[in-house]
Amino acid sequence: MKDLLGKIVQKGLSEGTSFCEARYFEERVNSISVENGIARVLSSGILRGIGIRVIVGGHWGFASTNIPSRESIEKALEDAIGGAKSITSFAREEARIVEVKPSIDTVVHDVKINPEDVSPEEKVKRMLELERDARTFSDRVKDTFISYRDIVTRVIVCNSFGTLVEEVTPRTSIYCRVIAKEGENMQEGFEGLGNVIGYELVEGINVEDFSLKAARKAVSLLSAHPPPRGTYPVVVDPRVGGLFIHEAIGHNSEGDLVFSGQSIISDKMHQKIASQLVTIIDDPTRRNYGHFIYDHEGVKAKPHVIMKDGVLVGFLHSLESAAKLGCEPEGSARAQSHHYPPIVRMSNTFLAAGDMTLEEILEDIDLGIYLSGSQYGYVESQKGQFTCKVEEAWLIEKGDLTEHLRDVAISGLTLEALKNITAVGRDLKMEMPGTCGKSGQGMYVDAGSPHFRIDSIVVGGRR
Amino acid sequence: MAEVDLVTPVEKAMRMLSRFNMDFYDVFASYSRSLNISILGKGINEATSHVDIGIGVRVFKNKGMGVAFSQSLEVNDIETVVKRAVGFARASQPDPYFKGIPGPSKAPEVPGLCDDEVVNLTLETASQISKEMIEAAESVRRGAMYFGGFNAGHVKAYLKSSTGVSVGLEKTYVSVNIQPVYREGDDVGSSYEFDYGISLSAINPQWVGKTAAEKAIEQFGSKKVESGSMPLILLPEASGTSLFSNLLAALSGESAVKGRTFASGLLNKQVGPESLEVLDDGTIPGAVASNTYDGEGVPRRPLKVVERGVVLTFLHNSYSAGIMNVESTGHAIRGGYSGYVGAGPSNIRVKPGDSTLEEMIAETRRGILVTRASLVPNMVSGEFSSTIDEGFLIENGEKKHPVKNLMAGGHILDLFRGIELISKEGRVFGGGHFFPAVKIREVKLSGE
Repeated sequence: MKDLLGKIVQKGLSEGTSFCEARYFEERVNSISVENGIARVLSSGILRGIGIRVIVGGHWGFASTNIPSRESIEKALEDAIGGAKSITSFAREEARIVEVKPSIDTVVHDVKINPEDVSPEEKVKRMLELERDARTFSDRVKDTFISYRDIVTRVIVCNSFGTLVEEVTPRTSIYCRVIAKEGENMQEGFEGLGNVIGYELVEGINVEDFSLKAARKAVSLLSAHPPPRGTYPVVVDPRVGGLFIHEAIGHNSEGDLVFSGQSIISDKMHQKIASQLVTIIDDPTRRNYGHFIYDHEGVKAKPHVIMKDGVLVGFLHSLESAAKLGCEPEGSARAQSHHYPPIVRMSNTFLAAGDMTLEEILEDIDLGIYLSGSQYGYVESQKGQFTCKVEEAWLIEKGDLTEHLRDVAISGLTLEALKNITAVGRDLKMEMPGTCGKSGQGMYVDAGSPHFRIDSIVVGGRR
Repeated sequence: MAEVDLVTPVEKAMRMLSRFNMDFYDVFASYSRSLNISILGKGINEATSHVDIGIGVRVFKNKGMGVAFSQSLEVNDIETVVKRAVGFARASQPDPYFKGIPGPSKAPEVPGLCDDEVVNLTLETASQISKEMIEAAESVRRGAMYFGGFNAGHVKAYLKSSTGVSVGLEKTYVSVNIQPVYREGDDVGSSYEFDYGISLSAINPQWVGKTAAEKAIEQFGSKKVESGSMPLILLPEASGTSLFSNLLAALSGESAVKGRTFASGLLNKQVGPESLEVLDDGTIPGAVASNTYDGEGVPRRPLKVVERGVVLTFLHNSYSAGIMNVESTGHAIRGGYSGYVGAGPSNIRVKPGDSTLEEMIAETRRGILVTRASLVPNMVSGEFSSTIDEGFLIENGEKKHPVKNLMAGGHILDLFRGIELISKEGRVFGGGHFFPAVKIREVKLSGE
């Protein structure tokens, strides 16, 4: 395959491209769905193909195919070149990239237990064990679900800089969802685990921290109350904190959104836009769900410091955004599959630890809200307006957690919220393995933070 | 474009499966070609195209299900897919609710779902359309930075089952969207507009560009609003995503019939005013969400879901219908060749009311005109707490300034109970959905 990709890149250059990239993508996926004590569905799939990206006359063209034959790939090259030429008369945003030194490498991430070596029957047995504890936790548990997935992704990037890198990445993830019911009242509890790891993730699960935790959460939410509404000081746990960092600042720091005028912080480089306590890092080299060594443009990944002591110091870059913003690319471009061109993505994004305990963070809050567990979030980066939906919350009264609350969300403005961070804990955790969506592409990411306090933010409530 | 043969690989898989003594199985293969023009920054920046093929197999043995798929139609890969699905079906466990998969039915073909102009579309034409959309935005005001694009596709698929289903599908789609961003110092004026349909003639890129720019400029000077309880007027872009799509999704498939959504207990119950009528119709000619057959080969048909404010039915695929011992309503949704078959609405049509939008605003002393929002509830509990992404304060019957950082909270069924007025005008989406503007009596808002 590597020889074939190399020949295609040479052919691309001989046909007048100023940059040519051929990327092979293969993903093998196995999954199991358990529902109320029954392994209902086992499934497996293979995604495989090649994406070709070129620059011709200062314009981008991209085409992809599922068929890994030379003939089919050459047709994709022809289509990519044709695509770039098709916009010659219309394009206003020039394709420009940073030239980087070539990398030649092969990376295979090791795991202790290859999930593909574990039989479906053995996996089913383990899923049922994990699910059973949740199902039998309480007579108020109505439904229990386990979703298990193992994925092996193989990416080969070959480009006209001379880069030829291959990376094979196994990821394993497992989620437990519990619905509890009392009368007409139904509530959900959720727990998820995932990493660049093998089946040892599943073998090492302690049900107390996983399925039982989800069940306990669902049942306890039955007696939780709707949140108050208005602007409050909030304290967030590492999951809500991770979601906040991802939505409020992470997307805004993506270089493609910056150069295209879609980020609220595009003109704020080297300015102090957050409190002194805020240092934010995106680190693909950490072994979390968003881990990789080379991005999908073949650039070796480095940790990216986005904000240092409240000052904006860096954006995340692709070859293109680095060129347009006058920076060095440090490996932030990834694509969902061969069918998509690489775009700037976060990896493992987090707020660096401070020095406070949770008790210290809470102690001087007279009335506030403690937010725990993330569901989903989104941001309108051009306006800097973000929303984070959380799993559960507690009222903070005179520094103590009191009333249990459910169905809480917060909404904020990036440039206000970052300045309102007034206390940061020492307990950094990365606990948000998942998929982030952008421009129609999903990508593996993780996020986290220590506990921290935002002095004033809008809390959506119903009373 | 080369002719793609989906029948031969499906037949091959069927023959292989017939040797394994399975109870039920179906095979689905699809081909798609898509063209995309990306708009980023100052304008068009990339042209992309891709061709995708794949095959998926669902196999049932002793009420257990195995699924496998591949992006290759080569014989060896089909054999691997079949063997994996069979092995998985044997390893999975009996699902007591499973009653089988549907048999064959004949239905008149829904016309107008495939447009030759889109089938033969070139990237040059796609670029020209994108350019026209940008120029329409610039005719309103120059100097924006953009995010958006043009997307068109041609899909062919073939489904065959052990119960005798054998149906083909051929469709096209095309969509445009653009988000202009204008800046005046630290103030940002941005908005978004879109259109989609089966054919090029079904979309209006100039209108999209012009409207997006006009809406973006209106967003300058947004202000925070204090917390309180106020009426909401949801424009069609917000009523569809906040009310009707959520209700019909919660009435769909196994989650609804297994009592796992906020709408599970709503059959024959009053959810809204007597004037509220909602129809789901997957047979509308030329609509993106229409098909002759659903994802399991059951004919699509119009289904009255809400009449005089009362919920009449769930939306079923064969699995959820089997649980309730009724016939499938033809609402199976197959998520491509990866094998998952769920259930969901097709074209949602809400009966227009008798108010005008102008009357709704004029009769509001203080409220919020919501131009874009997804008040998405927790689908289990029905409770929501969501941001109003774009809207305006209404005071004394007049639209005032745009709002920011404002949230709405409550229970989705309270929104339905609070419907006070439904507009006589509305917007058609994708050639099929119809959503009017809706005024809701009072909603709790969180702001300053």
